[in-house]
Parts: sequence; C-alpha cells; structure tokens
Amino acid sequence: MTRTTRLDGFGFIAPLLVLMVVAFNAPIVYMLGLAFWEKGRGFTLEHYEGLAEAPVYLRVLGNTMRIALIATIANVVIGYPLAHWMRGLGRRGRMIAVALVVLPFWVSILVRTYAWIVVLGNGGLVNRALQWSGLTDAPVSFLYNELGVTIGMANVLLPFLVLPLFAAMIRIDDRLLQAAASLGAPPRTIFWKVYFPLTLPALAAGALLVFILCLGFYVTPAILGGGRVPMISNLLDTLINQIPRWEQASAISTLLLIVTLAIFAAYRRIDRKASA
Amino acid sequence: MKRRTFVGTAAALPAVGLLSGTARAQVKEIRMIESGGKSGESIEVGYIEPFTKKTGIKVIRESPNSLGKLRALVESGQTSTVLMELGSGTLVQAKNLKLIEPIDWAAVNPAPMFPEARNEYGFGYQYFSTIMAWRAGAKAPKNWAEFFDTKAFPGKRCLPDFPHYSLPFAVMATGVPADKLFPLDVETGFKKLNEIKKDIAVWWKAGAQPPQLMKDNEVQYVICWSGRVVGDPAFGYNFAGGMADLAYFSIVKGSKPEDRAAAYKLMYEMSLPANQAKAATVISYTGPSPELDALLPKDKLADFPSSKQNKSVQWFQNAEWWAANGEAVNKKWEAFKLSL
Repeated sequence: MTRTTRLDGFGFIAPLLVLMVVAFNAPIVYMLGLAFWEKGRGFTLEHYEGLAEAPVYLRVLGNTMRIALIATIANVVIGYPLAHWMRGLGRRGRMIAVALVVLPFWVSILVRTYAWIVVLGNGGLVNRALQWSGLTDAPVSFLYNELGVTIGMANVLLPFLVLPLFAAMIRIDDRLLQAAASLGAPPRTIFWKVYFPLTLPALAAGALLVFILCLGFYVTPAILGGGRVPMISNLLDTLINQIPRWEQASAISTLLLIVTLAIFAAYRRIDRKASA
Repeated sequence: MKRRTFVGTAAALPAVGLLSGTARAQVKEIRMIESGGKSGESIEVGYIEPFTKKTGIKVIRESPNSLGKLRALVESGQTSTVLMELGSGTLVQAKNLKLIEPIDWAAVNPAPMFPEARNEYGFGYQYFSTIMAWRAGAKAPKNWAEFFDTKAFPGKRCLPDFPHYSLPFAVMATGVPADKLFPLDVETGFKKLNEIKKDIAVWWKAGAQPPQLMKDNEVQYVICWSGRVVGDPAFGYNFAGGMADLAYFSIVKGSKPEDRAAAYKLMYEMSLPANQAKAATVISYTGPSPELDALLPKDKLADFPSSKQNKSVQWFQNAEWWAANGEAVNKKWEAFKLSL
C-alpha cells in the first residue's frame, strides 16, 4: 500500500527530478570530472598535486572558513535575541517585525552591500556621528577589512537564521515554561533547561545554512573587503575567468564541496542524536 | 532546437558562404563580446553606426569579456559570436590556448595603423593607459619612487588587484628604468609592495572603484586606468611612467566565414581616423591611427593615451612575458594578499 503511494508520487516529481539531474547534477559531475580528465591526455591527478604544491590555495580556503565562522557567530549573537524578542510581541508586532526582517530580501544584494559604504565609510553616517559626538578624532576603518566583510555578510544572511529560529520559537508551548516556573525553576534555569534545548535544532539548522552560504559568498567580500580579504569564491573567479585554469578551479571546488558535505554530515549526526 | 539540426546547419553555412557573394550579403547581424560600459558606447558611436549605415548589417554587443567566457564559447562549439575583445595579455593567452584565429589582414585592408596595433591575431582598436592619479589638493608625485614614498607623500593608496597592473610599477619605484623592466624582477616588486602595504587601503577589481574612492576621500593616491580620471578637476594625474596598453578585437575560433567577412569590414571602419575621433568623444581612449592627433580637440590631447606627447613618456606592457609567467606570479599574488 505504502509502496504504490510512493510510486504515484514519483510521477509528480519526475519532471523536477529530470530538471535537477540535467540542469544541476550533470554540470556538477562534469565540473568535478574536469579536474581528473583532460582532453587527449586521459586521467590525471596533476591538478590535485598542484593544489598540494601550492598551499596558498588551501590557505585561502582556510581563511574563508574562518571568516564564515566569524560571520555565523555574529549572526547567532544578533539573530537569537532578535527572534526571541519577536516571539514576545503581539500578533501585530510580530507581523511588522517579520516584514522588517524579510524586507532586505526584496533589495538586491549589490545595492545592500553598496549601502554599507554610505553608512560605514570614512565620510559615512557612523563615522560622522562618532566624530561629531567626540568619541573618536579620526575616522574608524569599518570597511575594506574583515570587519566590513563580517558586517556585510551578517546583514545579508540574517534572515536565513532568524526566520527558521522564529518559526521554532513560536511553536514552543508556553505551558511548558509555566510548568517549569510552577515547579520553582528561576527564569535562567527555565531558559537553559527548557527553552534553549527546544530551539537548538532550529538554531543549528539556521547557523549551518548561514555558514554554508558564507563559504560561497562572492559579492560582499569583493566590495566590502577592498581586495584585502581573500575568499575562495574570488579566487575561483580569477582561476575561471582570468587565467583560465578550470581544472585547478574544479579541484578547489571539489575540495570545497567535500568540506561542505562533511559539515552537513556532522550536523545530521548531531541532529539525529538530539532528536533520538 | 535539436543539437543535431543545429550542428548540421552550422556545418552547411560555410559552404553556402563560399558559393556566392549574394549568400554573404545575407548576413543580417554579427555578434561581438566587448568590455561594456562607456567603451561599448564608443564602439557603437564610432564604428558600428557607420558600419551598419554602409552594409546594413547590425552588430549585437555583449559584455563582459572574460577569457573564461571565450573558452566556454569555443569548447562548447558555438558559432554565433565572431568578435571578441581581449587585452594584450589575454590575447597571447587566447592564442596559446587556440581560442582565436589569425586575422586576414589583406581582407581588412586597413587605413594606416601604429605597428603594435596590427597583431597577427588581433586588431588593436583602443589604446588605454594605466597611470598614477591623486585627489585634487594632494601633493603631486612626479615618478613612481615618489608615488610609493608614503612618508613624503602621505595618504592612502588604491592599487589594482591584478599583479600585471601593480607589480611593474612597484619595480619601477625601486629605480629600474622602463626599458629594463622585463623580465620582471617579481621579488623586488613584492618587497616594495610589502613596505607600503599598510597604506594600501583598497585593491580594486573594477575600474570604477579608484575614482569613486578618491571622491569619497577613502584614498588619496591611486593607480588606475586613464579614462577614469582624465578631464575631471577632482583629480590630478600624470602619464609619465605610465603603462600603455592596447585592447584588441580577435576572431573567435569556429566562427562562420561570412560573419568574419563582415567583421573584417567592421575592422576597416575601426581603422579610419575620422571614426576614431568620433569614438574618442565618448571615452578618453584612442584608436590606432597615427593621423588621429590632428582630428582631436587640441586642448584635450593631454588626456589621450596615444597622443604624441603622452605616448612618448609611457612604456608598453609585455604581454608575452605575462603569458609565460602569469599563473606562477598569480600564486605569489594570492600568498601576498593573505599576508595583508
């Protein structure tokens, strides 16, 4: 019975499946193959050897992961309290808050990123306010360094964390918290023993999503990094468009894909343990 | 369209093209990939308009023009795009990768051109320079040693995030004259850049960045493309010691013969000084005619890369050297960027 139902469903998803395989999976496999197979030369591991010989590419990958981690932590630190605060609002307040969080999605990433230049630049709003209030004498360098990239990425990716987190938080039954309180638990204990564990799966999923998106971010580091924050996508752009060494780019992309899948697998393991 | 039909048509077309002149006249449009922006507009105004008027053939422009795109075009076996704009460095790379084909110069039959613009594989259609510039009011450096002297000339710098645009100037700052620049002493260049890296606020990738950053007062000194700063009172600039370079149009490998015939006619239009003068009203980059100076506004000669007064104080990019060493230098460049 279940089996036939499954097969019935298959008819409906077949078009999507075909589209995914043809338009998405096949190019990826081709891209992965590029690093191993060269026209007229056959199988080669040369490009991976090249990767090992030039540790600079691996260091760029390491740098990318470090910045992605920082941006993810920044997102969690800002996003968790925000989602929690939104939960406490009334019906109308929630609607407005969700709209404000989603709003940036309607504006192009490019525009949002350039907006930060207006806000954080040497002659920007923040620096003028700081100097006017006498807190600083010289402009503070917010842009064209890791700080700028982190701020930009945190801004762009915040909705990816806040929305799933908020959805999980409003599902938490208030009576659970009340039960804990009636048993004499102080607010701190209620939060850490009841509330936080219930939000943890959504937090982990949101943080993972943000981290993975950070790994492949291109526009924001390119503009707000001022060329001083090497990240893997920018390196890939050079290898694909300028040099053009697609084989080397393919080897690096494969590595990036493996790292991403490994992180995802680790998350699944933790998630399964948590829900078991 | 089925792939088989498509390939069949493409294979049949050259034969038709060879058969008769009338078939050739049936070309209604050709496609080019160029660098876009104002440069694209200048091609439209200067060369495409007179070409379309004479031949009735439309030209469809596409951008941007990365080398990766050319590789994808050729490797996928496309035949629709005939012209590709390339830099001097990418021209040599594309030639080595067999992505472009030699130009039939007899078919182009151009008006007189500077010799370096007449390349076996490329029609050098546009001179552009990479020069030093500064925010108006900043102390003006006279040479590269001064430009790299951040004590005597305090201020933030903005340099190209491309080794082939930044390293030669760093080497010149150590006193190496332009005619002894190549083979490039890469280590010396990196040493010089390391000395002042704290004062380099931004490494630019897009040509629009340096003038904007100077206007925002984020940086005071830049190395940038001449067309972005000349004629603007907000900036000072100096062509002396600058790098002259050429942008080329090349014939994409596998393109149709009748498209090529049309492309050669367009190249002929590009060789006419009167058309080049028209293009120069849109952008401050100049065409390859030695007779162009006489047609340009006298008061603007100082702004153009190939005017006699500017051409003589600049040196030429060594594309062959970069084609042979570019990838190795690029690895060092990435390592250098990680140390910032």
